[in-house]
Amino acid sequence: MSPGMSLYSVNAILILSSEDGSRIFTKYYTPPHQAAGHPSGTAPGPSSQNPYPDKTSQTRFEKALLAKTAKQTGDILLFDSRIVLYKMESDVALYVVGSLDDNEILLYNVLLALRDSLHLLFKQSVDKRTIIENYDLVSLAIDEICDDGVVLETDPTIIVQRCSKAPSQDVSLGRIDPFSEQGVNNLAQLGKAKLTDWLRQGL
Amino acid sequence: MSYGKKDEDADTGLVKIDRTQVFQEARLFNTSPIQPRRCRILLTKIALLLYTGEKFPTTEATTLFFGISKLFQNKDASLRQMVHLVIKELASSAEDIIMVTSTIMKDTGGSTDSIYRPNAIRALCRIIDATTVQSIERVMKTAIVDKNPSVSSSALVSSYHLLPIARDVVRRWQSETQEAAASTKSSGGFSLGFSSSSGNLPVNNSTMAQYHAIGLLYQMRMHDRMALVKMVQQFGVAGAMKNPAAIVMLVRLAAQLAEEDHQLRKPMMQLLDGWLRHKSEMVNFEAAKSICDMRDVSDAEVSQAVHVLQLFLSSPRAVTKFTALRILHNFASFKPHVVNVCNPDIELLISNSNRSIATFAITTLLKTGNEASVDRLMKQISGFMSEITDEFKITIVEAIRTLCLKFPSKQAGMLQFLSGILRDEGGYEFKRAVVESMFDLIKFVPDSKEEALAHLCEFIEDCEFTKLAVRILHLLGVEGPKTSQPTKYIRYIYNRVVLENAIVRAAAVTALAKFGVGQKDPEVKRSVDVLLTRCLDDVDDEVRDRAALNLRLMHEEDELATRFVKNDDMFALSAFEQQLVMYVTSDDRSAFDTAFDISKIPVVTREQADAEDRTKKLTASTPSLKPPKLGPSKAAPSAAEAAASASAAAQQYAQELMQIPEIKPFGHVLKSSPLVELTEAETEYVVAVVKHIFKEHIVLQYEVKNTLPATVLENVSVLATPSDDEELEDAFVIPAEKLGTDVPGKIYVAFRKVNGEGSLPVSTFSNILKFTSKEIDPTTNEPEDVGYDDEYEVSDFDLSGSDYVIPIFASNFAHVWEQVGAQGDEAEETLQLSGMKSIPEATEQLAKALSLQPLEGTDVPVNQTTHTLKLLGKTVSGGRVVANVRMAFSSKTGVTTKITVRSEEEGVAALVVGSVA
Repeated sequence: MSPGMSLYSVNAILILSSEDGSRIFTKYYTPPHQAAGHPSGTAPGPSSQNPYPDKTSQTRFEKALLAKTAKQTGDILLFDSRIVLYKMESDVALYVVGSLDDNEILLYNVLLALRDSLHLLFKQSVDKRTIIENYDLVSLAIDEICDDGVVLETDPTIIVQRCSKAPSQDVSLGRIDPFSEQGVNNLAQLGKAKLTDWLRQGL
Repeated sequence: MSYGKKDEDADTGLVKIDRTQVFQEARLFNTSPIQPRRCRILLTKIALLLYTGEKFPTTEATTLFFGISKLFQNKDASLRQMVHLVIKELASSAEDIIMVTSTIMKDTGGSTDSIYRPNAIRALCRIIDATTVQSIERVMKTAIVDKNPSVSSSALVSSYHLLPIARDVVRRWQSETQEAAASTKSSGGFSLGFSSSSGNLPVNNSTMAQYHAIGLLYQMRMHDRMALVKMVQQFGVAGAMKNPAAIVMLVRLAAQLAEEDHQLRKPMMQLLDGWLRHKSEMVNFEAAKSICDMRDVSDAEVSQAVHVLQLFLSSPRAVTKFTALRILHNFASFKPHVVNVCNPDIELLISNSNRSIATFAITTLLKTGNEASVDRLMKQISGFMSEITDEFKITIVEAIRTLCLKFPSKQAGMLQFLSGILRDEGGYEFKRAVVESMFDLIKFVPDSKEEALAHLCEFIEDCEFTKLAVRILHLLGVEGPKTSQPTKYIRYIYNRVVLENAIVRAAAVTALAKFGVGQKDPEVKRSVDVLLTRCLDDVDDEVRDRAALNLRLMHEEDELATRFVKNDDMFALSAFEQQLVMYVTSDDRSAFDTAFDISKIPVVTREQADAEDRTKKLTASTPSLKPPKLGPSKAAPSAAEAAASASAAAQQYAQELMQIPEIKPFGHVLKSSPLVELTEAETEYVVAVVKHIFKEHIVLQYEVKNTLPATVLENVSVLATPSDDEELEDAFVIPAEKLGTDVPGKIYVAFRKVNGEGSLPVSTFSNILKFTSKEIDPTTNEPEDVGYDDEYEVSDFDLSGSDYVIPIFASNFAHVWEQVGAQGDEAEETLQLSGMKSIPEATEQLAKALSLQPLEGTDVPVNQTTHTLKLLGKTVSGGRVVANVRMAFSSKTGVTTKITVRSEEEGVAALVVGSVA
């Protein structure tokens, strides 16, 4: 089978802190059912093999990659026999890693989808702190972009639509006694939380 | 947000969360009623742990998994979406996950129109195993054809993931997949912003489902060529596919079909050509790449692709430039003249801020450049040399070294450039690269020798790197005495003795001695003597010892001293290393009873080593990048690999032969030919032969492989009959005892040269394979007792003059040509090589067929119509063989060549010419 006909094209999506190289989001993709499936499995091409199986090799790869791309704006490089596309956003570095045979533009679209969805989700401020504070949205968005190595969607508006916001405060109104001090506090808190939510959503 | 607040105190919120704490908190999942917000925060924490490399042990993961499954009681859509995500991530580490199948199935149903339906489908395929795939068949089938593209995509991708474990089941969904691929749905407009509040499935008009459908359809039909062709034709029509990624898949498929089936080549090429003009860059690139990778692509076919790529070179986007350049770079290895037209555009990119692009630009220019453009290129490079990092400088220096070897006539400019950058600031690695390039210039481009030595002398005057100083001093010692004015170098060397540290002083003393030993000029000899005597008072032991030893040698007989100091022969280093490793790692205690025997290591002369070295360096034109991977069909190893593997193979053979007691007394192998195939690769028995030349013997090594299933060949031997048995006498045959299916075996047939050591018998061998064939009993897996004798005739091969010749290197061809011509004989032959399509091809083939080393850069033809190839080698007995090949090319008759060979030994010239005639 020609390796090019595999849908598994993304090796990893990484979000690292560009200051100290610490991990913010790292996902190395392996096709599911690979280990369990037949060893002579037909679907995997060479590109589908996860080249960095354990954490040590992963962090080594990340460290070297960050050193190589720090303060660069080239968007693309060949690194360790893979194509790496990258973008720097304030204090975070976004990476999409693919195999050498893959279509660079497709991978670039994945990277742009990642960057633009983050921008749409957080308006202006795409930085480490916002990402960590809204980690649920980030992880849902990346799950919509890429499913275990298969590019799922590259249109940022669609991706953002597919990420649900966190549910509202878990306080059932029925249990609040409006006449106790506790109850008033609870109400005030609920209102405050709602307000911040609205403000954050920009509605 | 409460979760956000928690992190406000400590910005490094990442480290705050730890696994055990989260595991403790997971009790929250069991509380009733479920608090969706807090649970979602906790799920987020689990996701964060997983995504930063934390791994839950199986028991913990399982507990968490079932805790989470309780959350299905809550109806909140945003919680449910997160639940599906975490389940998907935990599925690989938890046990008994299959239990939740039915719960998740509920969320995948068509009746629910919630945002989490695609998530549920994706989670479902993670928890399912091969035996239960059938139970989700109905769900998947409806999902694949769902009108919402997100659902359809998820279902298709999930099916794709399930292929390895349930291929047969998934294949039954073919018609649905086909429908998904063909549908060009556009379901209404889409709402902007968050739709989470409603929890409903947002509608969109994504076309990615087509991409996934094509990928899956290919997997379903991959063994049915006709179906694949139909697929390309159906979806390849303009407008049938909206999604560019889907078309990329079609491009790849079309290229693959064209490669596999010659009949399809023409229609597929037409399709590819059309895709070059598609509106999406992604498709343009894929089509261009496929066309460039096509086997035997013609210049006309590829010109459009190259043109498209050329346009992309001036794109503002780095990625676009990179992609275009990478394709051109790979293609330049095969057809540099086609890429030539892009040179002006590529030249603009060599100072690009993206280092990958700049490196590709330079290496591409190196491949496509001709002698005229070199100067301009050098000028441009020196313009930005000061602005780049050391690492990148090294790449450039190595590239220039390759250029020097390719175009020796341009050495003056390059030497100037090298000496210029040698004076620049730079670290050790960079300086080393420059110095090594100059070493190579001195070795292979004789015209540059004196000037390069002068530059190096200046460099060591002010060199902070001891290692480099030592190497330069050594080189001065080797090359200095051969120059017209050796005294000039003595001054530089003695300066080091006065000014440097002990290591450099010791090296300088040895270099000095080389000027003194065997020196004919008494004046020079006396000065060296005086200088060395002064070194006897050095503070360092090593320096004193070396000075004393060399002084003594200077007063000895010249012959003895020269052999000691100026020995040009050296051990074949890779063989030496291998032998030493074998010795050191030997398990057998008795191996250490005898000391390591250095006399067993083959010795090569400097010329031979140089020839090998040069080939390696010339072909390694992309030093710091991994060699570009070629398409699987074009798996021909690059020349550099071939050169490396050839010498490794020769050593391997030599070692194997030495293990055979019958062959051991023959002595060292003088030459092993490359493997010659005697059968097609698909025949029942695959036979190839290697010819080994010994002093008085010739050994033919047959490599036989039995490809018939369920048969064993026993007692396999070869009846090799030379056409002319006056010169060759059978010695013995070592048969292969037993050959199972697909197990390669070796058979050795030895001949003795009747006329003794000096003779070079030439002959054609006819070969018949003889063996006893036995079938394997399928029940016992043992071969049956009785077999039948059989014979199998394979092609003839020639033992020709070139089998006795080894390529060697010399820097001055004209000199050797005259020298050999004065004392030896000459043979001439005019040949019409109609099979050759170009001068470069003929050049390569002839050098290979004659087994000689191209000299003076003549292995790279400059002119496409006429070319003179200069070749040198030596016979196994040591006599030199020189060849001058003149070629002319015309499209009607192919390549016409006139080969003139001169040899020191009588008769050899005719033999060598005969090997190509």
